[in-house]
Amino acid sequence: MGEKGPMKFLVKSIKTAGVSLEDVEIAVGRLAIEEEWEPMGPTPMPKIETLRSWDMKLLKRYRPFYMPICDLCCLCTYGKCDLTGGKRGSCGLTIDAQQARIVMVACAIGAATHASHARELVELLIERYGEDWPIDMGGEIHVEMPNTRLVVGIKPKTLGDLAFALNYVEEQIVQTLAASHTGQESDYLDFESKALHLGMLDHVAMEIADVAQVITFGFPKGDPDAPLAEIGLGCVDVTKPLILCIGHNVTNSIDIIDFIEKSGLGAPGEMIEVAGLCCTAHDIVRYNKAAKVVGPISYQLKFVRSGAADVIVTDEQCIHTSILHEAQKVKAPVISVSNKALRGLEEVSDKPVDEIVDMLVTGKVPGVAILDLEKAAAVAVLTALRIAPIRKKFKVVPDKEELAKVASKCVKCGSCRRNCPIDLPIDEAVSAAKNGDLSKLAEIHDLCLGCARCESACPRGIPILSLITGAADYKIKTSKFKMRVGRGPILDTEIREVGSPIVLGEIPGVIAFVGCANYPAGGREVAIMAEELLKRRYIVVASGCAAMSIAEYRTEEGTTLYEEYSGAFEAGGLVNVGSCVANAHISGACIKIANIFARRRLRANYEEIADYVLNRVGACGIAWGAMSQKAASIATGFNRLGVPVIVGPQGAKYRRLYLGRKEDIESFTVYDARTGDKVWVGPAPEHLIYAAENKEEAMVMAAKLCLRPNDTTKGRMIKLTHYVELYKKFYGTLPPDLHLFIRTEADIPITHKFEILEYLKKVDWKPWERPVVDPTLLERLIRVKK
Amino acid sequence: MNVAVTPWQYGNVPGPKTALTLKGDVAGRLIKAAKKPLIIVGAEALKVKLDENRTLLDYAIELSKLSGAPVVATANTLKAFLERGYKPAAAMGSIEITERLRDRGWSIDGSGAHDLVIYIGITYQLQSQLLSSLKNFALHLRTMSLDRYYHPNATWSFPNLSFDKWVDNLNMIIEVLRGGVGGR
Repeated sequence: MGEKGPMKFLVKSIKTAGVSLEDVEIAVGRLAIEEEWEPMGPTPMPKIETLRSWDMKLLKRYRPFYMPICDLCCLCTYGKCDLTGGKRGSCGLTIDAQQARIVMVACAIGAATHASHARELVELLIERYGEDWPIDMGGEIHVEMPNTRLVVGIKPKTLGDLAFALNYVEEQIVQTLAASHTGQESDYLDFESKALHLGMLDHVAMEIADVAQVITFGFPKGDPDAPLAEIGLGCVDVTKPLILCIGHNVTNSIDIIDFIEKSGLGAPGEMIEVAGLCCTAHDIVRYNKAAKVVGPISYQLKFVRSGAADVIVTDEQCIHTSILHEAQKVKAPVISVSNKALRGLEEVSDKPVDEIVDMLVTGKVPGVAILDLEKAAAVAVLTALRIAPIRKKFKVVPDKEELAKVASKCVKCGSCRRNCPIDLPIDEAVSAAKNGDLSKLAEIHDLCLGCARCESACPRGIPILSLITGAADYKIKTSKFKMRVGRGPILDTEIREVGSPIVLGEIPGVIAFVGCANYPAGGREVAIMAEELLKRRYIVVASGCAAMSIAEYRTEEGTTLYEEYSGAFEAGGLVNVGSCVANAHISGACIKIANIFARRRLRANYEEIADYVLNRVGACGIAWGAMSQKAASIATGFNRLGVPVIVGPQGAKYRRLYLGRKEDIESFTVYDARTGDKVWVGPAPEHLIYAAENKEEAMVMAAKLCLRPNDTTKGRMIKLTHYVELYKKFYGTLPPDLHLFIRTEADIPITHKFEILEYLKKVDWKPWERPVVDPTLLERLIRVKK
Repeated sequence: MNVAVTPWQYGNVPGPKTALTLKGDVAGRLIKAAKKPLIIVGAEALKVKLDENRTLLDYAIELSKLSGAPVVATANTLKAFLERGYKPAAAMGSIEITERLRDRGWSIDGSGAHDLVIYIGITYQLQSQLLSSLKNFALHLRTMSLDRYYHPNATWSFPNLSFDKWVDNLNMIIEVLRGGVGGR
């Protein structure tokens, strides 16, 4: 167990002048939470091996599919070891185990990053609000932390309880990561089980981080009508001093807003602009919608080079590591507030505010590290006010007239393109710009990941990203949209409303767009997919960079999807839960369906709940631009809970997918809990993590991955209607595996009934003998054993 | 190891085992010599125009007809195949077909293993990963990429080619299969 509980001493007898005690137990330290809110389930604080049997059930059906990105192992001094052709490395490891090991390490990094984020938040918030600060998620959320209840087995009531839960998470991450050392784990399936363990821990860590900030900072508590905030590269008023906050840990950004208000400078945007990039941006506007969201991670360098930001504050995660270098180009000082990313800067936490401001305004140093967050906020604001008139929004993006001149240095060697992560035809665009045609560069702007690898590789030193940004200047200036701010968890009342139609299949599915901005063809694709599914009355959930990309798109009516669709967790609702850590509310919603709607016990009952979700909750994630190790662990955590995930084509570079085979009858056989019989239920869901080639494949696959064995006939008919319609729309015919999902004629979509009946005749389909079962993979849930 | 060619994506250096480069005539002969080749066609084939009248997908149809190799249509290419009156042997995800190909003895028609798998029109990064999977886990298979850029994870790949040279090489394959230059 992560929390060892208090140290206990048994004292046989104490005798003083006035007191005489015998057999007294003295406890020192924090007491474990022992309230009996629900009987303890079978797996409180699971260790590495506790849920291994569940993992193996999943991995038997969804076999790991490895695609090495490197055929070598370089992790110890025996190597490099060539693992091709079935060769083992010096330590004995095979290529499949090595792939699984690297994925496991990625999940450990992801889980550790969220756990560390949560730890920083919880410790700081305990310092500010006290460890007894209550976890109050409002009147409509009683199952306040479903992941924590499910995994840790506690019902947390205070901030202090969150620290207790984190102890467990941190200990397990350390234990699991140790398995990757040379000469430890050797079996690929066991590495995968550990990756799944880490993914599960990640969801607990994310939940702790988000709930801690929701309860203390006054973020929306599941409000479907959370306000709309401004988003876009063009949403800031560049005539005002501007502080740009990049990263994921919002605490310092909130201190900045508070300092501005306390200093009589009004709300953000009145005298001084506060804008965020990446997930910090989500959380800033959850705190105060007057702040601005510049956009996803891919906008970092473009925005910095535009010169709009007068001070750049970096906290943690996903920040371009050249940020200091980039900021120097535009004469904007950097303040780092995280000891995880000190950037080689002088740490000045002990210096007086005025002295630090002087250092930054005079350019004595390019930036500073300040780990006292309130002081950092004061420095950021005062520096922005003083430096803005000096900088005069100094930029390095060339004006339109200069672009051709800069581009003229290009010799079209192609190095830019061959270093672009998504193979954009940059060389052709720069070459066209030489001749005054900027349209190709402007097109690339919409697809570009903003990583600047192209210009780093350019032998002529052309600032290619600046050219791209300059060519799209006309788009950037008008790039203003509306995004519903992250509402946090799903309400218990919403779960009661939609639990039944989701489980019975009448709502075709819950589809969550999550993850980063490593899109194969621009963020617009995410919005197009979301719109298609919203029109089809799926519940669409969004978080992180994907939630921002959905905002940056206008429908035919000229509005954003957030303006057009309700923010409620309902059919046709578009739910922005918030930043990366708010992903825990998506897994939490699946868990709450099992608990609140189906009344399954939650406390430390992981296997049963995951079994329920896998067989009954038609949910699917789409991480179209998944890039980070955090995305790997988030997805893997969803997988352990029984939620399939689709990644974009770049996601294949994670090296591993979990794939089912529809023709493998045995692997899609479950127990009927009512009789104990083993029954084939069709390949639903077919895969656990899948990489799609393009958005069309992703949409079709998402509709299919929402099918569940438990669907009622009406529900199956509705789900199949969407699967068939999407397949016909993009593939031009009926799905070739349709017969595997039709149990009786009542499952057949009415709109295509005759065509499908004809097809079924051709494939010699017969109605299933047992169309309706109570599906489970867990033998212990069989109610009548034969 | 072929040291003369760098991967199209400079960073895509997999390890010591990399693809041999070939020209269209050799590719044609290899395809002709294969006992049970398979062609996997991805969604990029819809976008790439080889000339005024042909997309890469049209080329894949011609290649299939001349070589007798069945086609697996991945992603949304199926619609375009059907619109052209060509019925692929199967429609499935590029991931799904590649996963099955790792099994020794597996084939699209269930009768004997494929010996050569040809990839066309799958986006570079994804194709590289698919080829890597077969290189490492399907030692019984040989793979060929007919896309324009060098794929180190294949058994055989074109080098990085200009568009025109690539089209020439593709046409050379057709010629060989028709029994023309370099054919047997």
